[in-house]
Amino acid sequence: MSHISLRCLVLLWPDTHILAEMPLSGLLTMILLLCTVTMVESNSDRPAVEVKEAFFNYGSVKALDGLSLVVPTGISFGLLGPNGAGKTTLIRVLVGLLKVKRGNILVLGEKPSRRTAHLMGYMPQLHSLYSELSVCQNVDFFARIFRMASRIERAQRVEEAIRLIDLWPRRNDAVMKLSGGMRQRVSLACAIVHNPPVLVLDEPTVGLDPELRVTFWEHFAELNRRGVTIIISSHTMDDAAHCDGLAFVRDGKVIAQGTPDELRRDAGQDTLEGAFLFFARNREENSA
Amino acid sequence: MPSLAFTIAARIIRQLIRDRRTIVLIIAVPLVVMTLIGLSFPEGQVLDYIAPALLATLALFFSFLLTGISFLRERSQGTMERLMASPVSRLDIVLGYLFGFFLFALTQTLIIVLFTIYVLDVHYSGDLWQIFIFQVVVIAGAVNLGIFISTFARNEFQMVQFIPLILFPQIFLCGVIWPVEQMPEYLQWLARFLPLKYGVDGLRDIMLFGKGLADVAFEMLVLAGFAVATSILAAFTLRRGTGG
Repeated sequence: MSHISLRCLVLLWPDTHILAEMPLSGLLTMILLLCTVTMVESNSDRPAVEVKEAFFNYGSVKALDGLSLVVPTGISFGLLGPNGAGKTTLIRVLVGLLKVKRGNILVLGEKPSRRTAHLMGYMPQLHSLYSELSVCQNVDFFARIFRMASRIERAQRVEEAIRLIDLWPRRNDAVMKLSGGMRQRVSLACAIVHNPPVLVLDEPTVGLDPELRVTFWEHFAELNRRGVTIIISSHTMDDAAHCDGLAFVRDGKVIAQGTPDELRRDAGQDTLEGAFLFFARNREENSA
Repeated sequence: MPSLAFTIAARIIRQLIRDRRTIVLIIAVPLVVMTLIGLSFPEGQVLDYIAPALLATLALFFSFLLTGISFLRERSQGTMERLMASPVSRLDIVLGYLFGFFLFALTQTLIIVLFTIYVLDVHYSGDLWQIFIFQVVVIAGAVNLGIFISTFARNEFQMVQFIPLILFPQIFLCGVIWPVEQMPEYLQWLARFLPLKYGVDGLRDIMLFGKGLADVAFEMLVLAGFAVATSILAAFTLRRGTGG
């Protein structure tokens, strides 16, 4: 990095005696500034997720069959497909729970591992909460697990996460006393408490009533405004309509990718459901 | 001990304390069992002889069961998957569980020992604190064994099937019911690989013959080695992926 920066400096000041006369502190400040600019630029250009030719199988069943995908930062991105399409496997690969047999996975430019776990917030399909503990204790536990060491910072983040899901008045209630929808919201709070730049949600709206579904999408929109990239798996087209970007997944492959409008237009269909069926049939015909 | 293991241990303790029914059962069940055993052996001498073996067996049984089921529950509820997607290491998880459940297993053992000595009026020769220290080593192995075995079960039903497989042979082969020396040679050889044998031998030496911890150092060393080995195995078998 510093090598590149020095080259930039020489380009900026071809007359090298200016560089030679510059005080050392000034030169170092300049290098630091250029390094920062370079890093910021490379961060913003880097996609949130890059999957190249990923393969994974459970025994003889192919769950990911050469799947490739690019998710830009700061958007809501939907993985759409029927049950068994490979969505949950892909999500588990992204959060580092599974390792691909072949292929390349990058999350914000890093290979998923325990070291990069803080970059991701993960909400599994199950509520995955400690039912005896209160809302606050559950969220606080995950804040601690993600090494938010400062007590003040942790308390602030826990309160912020619980307020975002509108459960602050119920913060001291045991999770087992909450409804299914409320538990889903607590599960979301546990996933976002450490402020991850990428949030991966495995069918977060399953089993929610329409009103709560709208509330969830309001939460997601708020997180997007804060710069968080959200990757959501779903098999309902209702969720798809809320996403900025979509990938239709089937048989462990991405059969189409784009914005909801692009996908509808490319398929010549009025609905996303129709677009999905169009691309699925197309693929079947091509493979036949 | 890493700080994240502390965090996990604190969470387990908080979780169990909030589950009052479980707390009552942890205390009441061993007392009911020991009362029934006490009533079954009205002759004090027989009870004096079998009490050390029963104390070791019950410590192993209850600690194994408590930890095994709880650990499995963590996996079946999906919280383990969430933990595995965090910066927590597998060793943090195993150590966290060990320390979290150790407190409850130790409390349970304390209650059993005190009840056996003061209510059932079992006579013992050694020091009470030495009995406790020895039991601590038995429990450490049992807690780790529970974690290790639970990684092979996918649900509570499967976990329960491991009880007869893991515990019953130890009860029959480790001198709880009849002396190991009276069994066929190959079974005596097999018993040498079972941790309960060393628990029973050590506690008998302390309680019946008034020996000290230094005299049972070999048994304690074997049990400590078993605890370390099972914790390493548990950390090793704990998969980051659930494979589901």
